[in-house]
Amino acid sequence: MEELDLLCERRRSAGAPMAAYVGPLRRHVAEGDRRLLRLQYDASPAALRLWSFLLTEEERLHEARAAGAKIVGAMKDLGTVPVMAYALPNVVAFYPDGAWWTPCVMELSDGLLRIAQSLGFGESFCPVRAMLGAFVDRAHFPIPDLLTCSVGAVCDDFSAIAQRVESLGHPILWWEMPHRRPPEPDETAVELPGGFSAPASQVALVRSELERVRSALEALAGSPLGDAELADGVAQANCVRRLLAELRRLAYTADPCPMPALEMLIAEMLAIHFCSDRAESIRVLADLLEEVRRRVKENRGVLAQDAARVFWVNPVADLRVMNLLEDCGGRLAGTEFLFSHALDLIPEDLPPMEALARMALADPMAGPSADRAARIERDARAFGAEAVLVSRIPGASHCALEGAVIARAVRRTLAVPVVEIEVPPVADSMMPTLRAQLEALVETVMERRKP
Amino acid sequence: MTTVVYSSPFVPAEWIAAHGARPKRLRPDPGAAARSAAPVAGMCPYARALAGEAMALHDGQVAVFATTCDQMRRAAGWAALEAPAPVFLFNVPATHATPAAARLYLDELRRLGRFLARLGGSEPSRDKLADVMESYDDRRRQLRDALGILAPREASEVIAEFDRDERPRLQGARRLLPHGFPVAVVGGPLMLNDAQVFDRIEEAGGVVVLDGTESGVRTLPAPFDRRRLRDEPVLELVDAYFGRIPDAFRRPDEALIAWLERELASSGARAIILWRYVWCDLWAAFAARAGELAGLPVLDLDVSGDEGADRRTANRLQAFLEVLR
Repeated sequence: MEELDLLCERRRSAGAPMAAYVGPLRRHVAEGDRRLLRLQYDASPAALRLWSFLLTEEERLHEARAAGAKIVGAMKDLGTVPVMAYALPNVVAFYPDGAWWTPCVMELSDGLLRIAQSLGFGESFCPVRAMLGAFVDRAHFPIPDLLTCSVGAVCDDFSAIAQRVESLGHPILWWEMPHRRPPEPDETAVELPGGFSAPASQVALVRSELERVRSALEALAGSPLGDAELADGVAQANCVRRLLAELRRLAYTADPCPMPALEMLIAEMLAIHFCSDRAESIRVLADLLEEVRRRVKENRGVLAQDAARVFWVNPVADLRVMNLLEDCGGRLAGTEFLFSHALDLIPEDLPPMEALARMALADPMAGPSADRAARIERDARAFGAEAVLVSRIPGASHCALEGAVIARAVRRTLAVPVVEIEVPPVADSMMPTLRAQLEALVETVMERRKP
Repeated sequence: MTTVVYSSPFVPAEWIAAHGARPKRLRPDPGAAARSAAPVAGMCPYARALAGEAMALHDGQVAVFATTCDQMRRAAGWAALEAPAPVFLFNVPATHATPAAARLYLDELRRLGRFLARLGGSEPSRDKLADVMESYDDRRRQLRDALGILAPREASEVIAEFDRDERPRLQGARRLLPHGFPVAVVGGPLMLNDAQVFDRIEEAGGVVVLDGTESGVRTLPAPFDRRRLRDEPVLELVDAYFGRIPDAFRRPDEALIAWLERELASSGARAIILWRYVWCDLWAAFAARAGELAGLPVLDLDVSGDEGADRRTANRLQAFLEVLR
């Protein structure tokens, strides 16, 4: 962190152009983000900008509220509602779900999990219960003017926590996400982004649900959200997704690895709601991509050549574990952080609501675990992964069986080693175990390389 | 005749019967869980047991799961990969206040009908469906009448017999002799032999005056409107099941809260025993709210279905009721 802060000061002294929000990370440590002291960072101006952008999001939301913007709290769908919201002027959308990283970043000093516990949401629930604490203490994100939440084929943790949020006096627009299933022989099939297919009737249902969301957004903004505005919103979202696609291609295939795992996790997260500033997220990602391209061209990397190539499944509650992979001799060779539908391009040759419905239905959480496993197999193969790591989320209703389905499918078809780990919000006490698991995975990969 | 094994109260028995199959709503055997070969840690014991039951099906049997919780949805996926018999996953919408939700439920009924037809059943005429519904409605009325005078465990077992499509043994059952501290049991479904918990409650000095588990009266469909049943039987079925059964997975969950407030008041319950499986998020979340809403003491009884669970449950019930009496 010191290195990154020094870089910041040097650039400021030299008069290098920097966005207003860019600054030393120690200012966030002073505000309680103590985990930042324990992380290892990429020491580039692009990474400094990425981290500054991420860590100033709450300020950005409060400033937007002060400036009169309407704030939408989109919950659970991870990538759909924000595309619609940002198509309206003076509307900002974010995911209250993102509070799940607050206990990690603040090393539990935030007290959010304690508040959740006091409301009946203890450790049998996923760390996203921190969101409930944030709604209660109001010390983090501003309370949104409109809350939406997809329900149905979602995790029970989230559905239960969101219901509790509503019971505390925060009305929610619930919209149905059906369980995605393959079309039956007598049904019309629709191809979804990412390669899944679904019956046309399910797409129509999601579309009609998103129309309800559209109406709510229009009422909130006081202006119509026409197809032309939505089409532009889709095009802007695709701009983010194209940048990420190229960034992922280079970062996960080039050798030596040109960008660390932690920064890639943060970069991918920008896809779901643009970190509350769509235009700036495009500039942040463009910077990062430029840095990666330069490194690839110069054959420079951040890790040793030939590091073990690991495909990572699920986001980690403790960011430090992304560093740990690299400490153990591994590197990312693909990811599936539960929002692959937010990375795939949204079709631009369809009416925008139809395109958004197809994208929403492609959510890996909405379909069978076998679908998700098939996507992971395909992507792991494409990125040349030599191992798959499934990072279970403690308490999450989907993880117990899903991990087993994915592990079995990957072992059968890819014939690569698979390891399952579980990562709590602050994993310090488990680091020796996690390290042993990751080292064993890397050693297995290295052993398999031997002729 | 195909036997359709299922556990969700949102799957209408009369719909299955009208398509020429035999409905059999199960209380799964906890001992079947091991057969599922599904992971233990993090997985709902009930979903695991039902997946295990699906593994044991044979020719002429099919399993129907419902999407009423994430664990069950994923258990269906697991069973579909492993079970020797066909598995059908019925998408019960979580939302209920929109026409789209009711339409999705209706579409799922029709899809289930086509599934059964492919297995040798047949799509019923409107009159045949109405006849079957009427017959079930009559039997359900008799069941409701009997429940009012039966002791809690017998009442639960009679419902289980009805659900298995057997003739309930209404004669000779023990009559309810109300005594003890009145409690409501509210929550998820019971597994095979779990009705014994009502006896454990009596042994601890309580008496169950309200069975609000998923296996109890809470999830009985509403009586049919006989006139509409003849004109629009499918829509009447949708209303009676999807439109009327309150549950913790529904969003918003106002119907469950209204049901609880109404039934607690009319039953005279003075405490709530919340019956839920470990790793069940939906009922675990409801446990805290139930106490707040009703202003009654709540025992959050997380059950695992494993060996030793009965003794733990009995001890916890004993301690809870000792404090209250």
